[in-house]
Amino acid sequence: MSAPLLQMRNIETYYGPIMAIRGVSLDVNEGEIVAVLGANGAGKTTLLKTVSGALDSNKGQVLLDGEEIQCRDPDWVARKGIAHVPEGREVFPLLTVAENLAMGAYNRSDKDTIARDLEAVYEYFPALRSVQRKMAAYLSGGQQQMLAIGRGFMARPRLLLLDEPSLGLSPLLVQEIFRIIVRLNSEQGMTILLVEQNANVALQVSSRGYVMEVGGMVMDGPSDKLLASEDIKEFYLGKKEVGVRGRRRWKKRKTWR
Amino acid sequence: MTPVLQDGCDTLPKLFLKKTAERGDRIAMREKDFGIWQSYSWSDYRARAFEIAYGLLALGLQRGDVASIQSEDCREWLWTDLGILLAGGVVNGIYPTYQMRQVEHALTDSSCRFLFVEDEEQLDKYLAIEQQLPLIEKIYVFDWRGLRDFRHDKVANIEVLYELGREFGTRNAGLVESIVAAGCGDDLAALVYTSGTTGMPKGAMLSQRYIIFQTLLAPDQLLFSADDEILTYLPLCHIAERVFSGWLPIAHGATINFAESPETIAQNLQELSPTYFFAVPRVWEKFYSRITTAMSEATWIGCKAYDLALAAGLRRADKLIAGQALSIADKVGYALADRLVFRNIKKILGLNRAHSAASGAAPISPSLLRWFLAIGIAIDELWGQTELGIATTCHQGLFQFGTVGRALPGTEVRIAENGEIIARSAGQFSGYLNLPEKTAETLVEGWIHTGDVGVLDNEGNLSITDRLKDIIITAGGKNITPSVIENELKFSPYISDAVIIGDQRKFLSCLIMIDQENVEHHAQTHSVPFTDYRSLCARPEIIALIDGEVRHVNAGFSSVEQVKKFRLIDVLLTAEDEELTPTMKLKRSYVSAKYKDLIDSMYVQ
Repeated sequence: MSAPLLQMRNIETYYGPIMAIRGVSLDVNEGEIVAVLGANGAGKTTLLKTVSGALDSNKGQVLLDGEEIQCRDPDWVARKGIAHVPEGREVFPLLTVAENLAMGAYNRSDKDTIARDLEAVYEYFPALRSVQRKMAAYLSGGQQQMLAIGRGFMARPRLLLLDEPSLGLSPLLVQEIFRIIVRLNSEQGMTILLVEQNANVALQVSSRGYVMEVGGMVMDGPSDKLLASEDIKEFYLGKKEVGVRGRRRWKKRKTWR
Repeated sequence: MTPVLQDGCDTLPKLFLKKTAERGDRIAMREKDFGIWQSYSWSDYRARAFEIAYGLLALGLQRGDVASIQSEDCREWLWTDLGILLAGGVVNGIYPTYQMRQVEHALTDSSCRFLFVEDEEQLDKYLAIEQQLPLIEKIYVFDWRGLRDFRHDKVANIEVLYELGREFGTRNAGLVESIVAAGCGDDLAALVYTSGTTGMPKGAMLSQRYIIFQTLLAPDQLLFSADDEILTYLPLCHIAERVFSGWLPIAHGATINFAESPETIAQNLQELSPTYFFAVPRVWEKFYSRITTAMSEATWIGCKAYDLALAAGLRRADKLIAGQALSIADKVGYALADRLVFRNIKKILGLNRAHSAASGAAPISPSLLRWFLAIGIAIDELWGQTELGIATTCHQGLFQFGTVGRALPGTEVRIAENGEIIARSAGQFSGYLNLPEKTAETLVEGWIHTGDVGVLDNEGNLSITDRLKDIIITAGGKNITPSVIENELKFSPYISDAVIIGDQRKFLSCLIMIDQENVEHHAQTHSVPFTDYRSLCARPEIIALIDGEVRHVNAGFSSVEQVKKFRLIDVLLTAEDEELTPTMKLKRSYVSAKYKDLIDSMYVQ
């Protein structure tokens, strides 16, 4: 197997004096979906921001195809082929849907392929086609999320970073968005690094997963193995044994085995 | 047999009544509630113990009945402990880390009638095996949180028992006092299940005489007095913490402080700075690792200062160990080193007020003791076991590292023909519960066969070689004592525990448990990528790091005693795992069996 597309090695990132990530290493291979799970404040978003250059790491390396990309400006990283779909969508509210999507293709010049990709976005997200001329601010949460992913796709990145695409969406919409994510991966060969709190869906669509707690990795493995892990079941999937009393307040000690 | 008396009392309950009456509102214990230290006086201690005693009597507890406590250390543990004893019962401490199977054994084997559990987590262990435990009549829960809507005939909040005790006590005033007065030194007081490395734990029976005998340790053997502050953090089920936090304070009046949890020992130590500190070797090793790791990333000046100070400290320590007089230069050098460096180290560790420090429950590396002496902490090594209690102590001011000191007055220690240490004392245990054959194996003609091998010098100082059954005979017929090598390995900040293998083998090998914190730190500073514990253990850089530590230790041993190969245990073990004893030591026999494949892989040609 060739070297991983993205490698993070011993990354440490600070928010002021606070170490938000303390020594994280992670690999993403070409063509796979990798999920990073973790509770609020575990450092998942920081991790993605460090990859895309929105935050500088204090230590360690981020390698894209063997080339160091840490601590560079986000636009430089984006041109290298990394698109970041941020948490909370962050679409340009005053631009129309079409304009938002065009912004995604800002660094590209080949009009034919751009037009083809735009068509592909409308095909994946038919809901966007009907609102092409509408300002993004007027879209629903689900549509905005679709737009954000579509905008990321328009950059035709080598690696797509998705930060909590399920945030604030109804379970049905979550299913729909994730179906499309899987299609982007299988049909377009898009490599995806996915950060999620919704462990269940994330592990179902990904091939491998990492679990983050307070800034460090505590477990990694193939997604089906993680789904079967006792700790993941109890702490991320909420499937705890109810015990003899039918209810249980105490938590097991996490062992991450 | 001559009676064993402490202050004229032959039982702990008598002593407790006498001492609590004398001490009144002096502080007996402190424990945090919602992060704030709360104090409890000796009168509170007595009042609670009385309520529990009367409550149990109201429920029909008879002299000699067993009641069990299944909880982490907390104030209720000790209140209940004394409550059961005052009512004439027998206390059985159950490790909160025990799993269902072990809990069932400890409760069934002891025919326990009353069970005290810490919280809903411990309660659930009972509920899961309720059907197998028909003898249990009542279960009281110290911490009722999460159980408000729970209804069960046998289970109640501890407050219910207090209330029952108060009510029964007013109607039967003087009953507890008369029960206590009728007690004698021969009465069974406690059951301590020893962490049996093979098979089920054995219940050692301890009499009142045993307890009183242990309280005689101070003030002659241990400088333990009413002004002392101690930190309670080892399981109270374990004999060492029971002596230091249960019995000695009752006899001598020290104040105990409960650590919040096993994870916060370091912080609690810092904020309390106890004056008397007892620890198992693992804790001392951890302290040492913490300081050396911190020093490795100090500034250039900091490192230099530490090196110079340590050199002065070691010079002084070596003279003290050799028994030579200190020169003025030594004293001045040390005073300077202490003022500039050691005092800060001791402050960081929370040992700046400690006038005495002791280590026991497992052998400790002499190099570690030398380092602590260099920074000004003289650790006295103690030796003992559940069956014997604390049996030997090192005398303050004598630094004969490698020996565990002399036998206590009233304790005789001898070396049997096979090299095994045998001992007897006025306060030894009374046998294993329900196990006459095991008792006969251990207690032969009044002498306890300790299972330790050792040497006595001319002055009566005992040195422990190893556990008899742990001594390795290699395929070449050479006898090797693994613990000596293991202790030197554990001295490394990167090695948390090690088990030497080599019985009937061509060479010695070793299973090593790395120190997670320090090795992760090393990996991070040296850019060794890893994700979780397992991947950390698999990194060639980490294996090379440990290899370097092993080689370093090997240099101090002869060729046959050198560790030729090693493997890392790549599972992060917790106290709940059967591989570890409750004091977090690897169990040799269990580990050897469980990791047989890993061990065999080292001997493949």
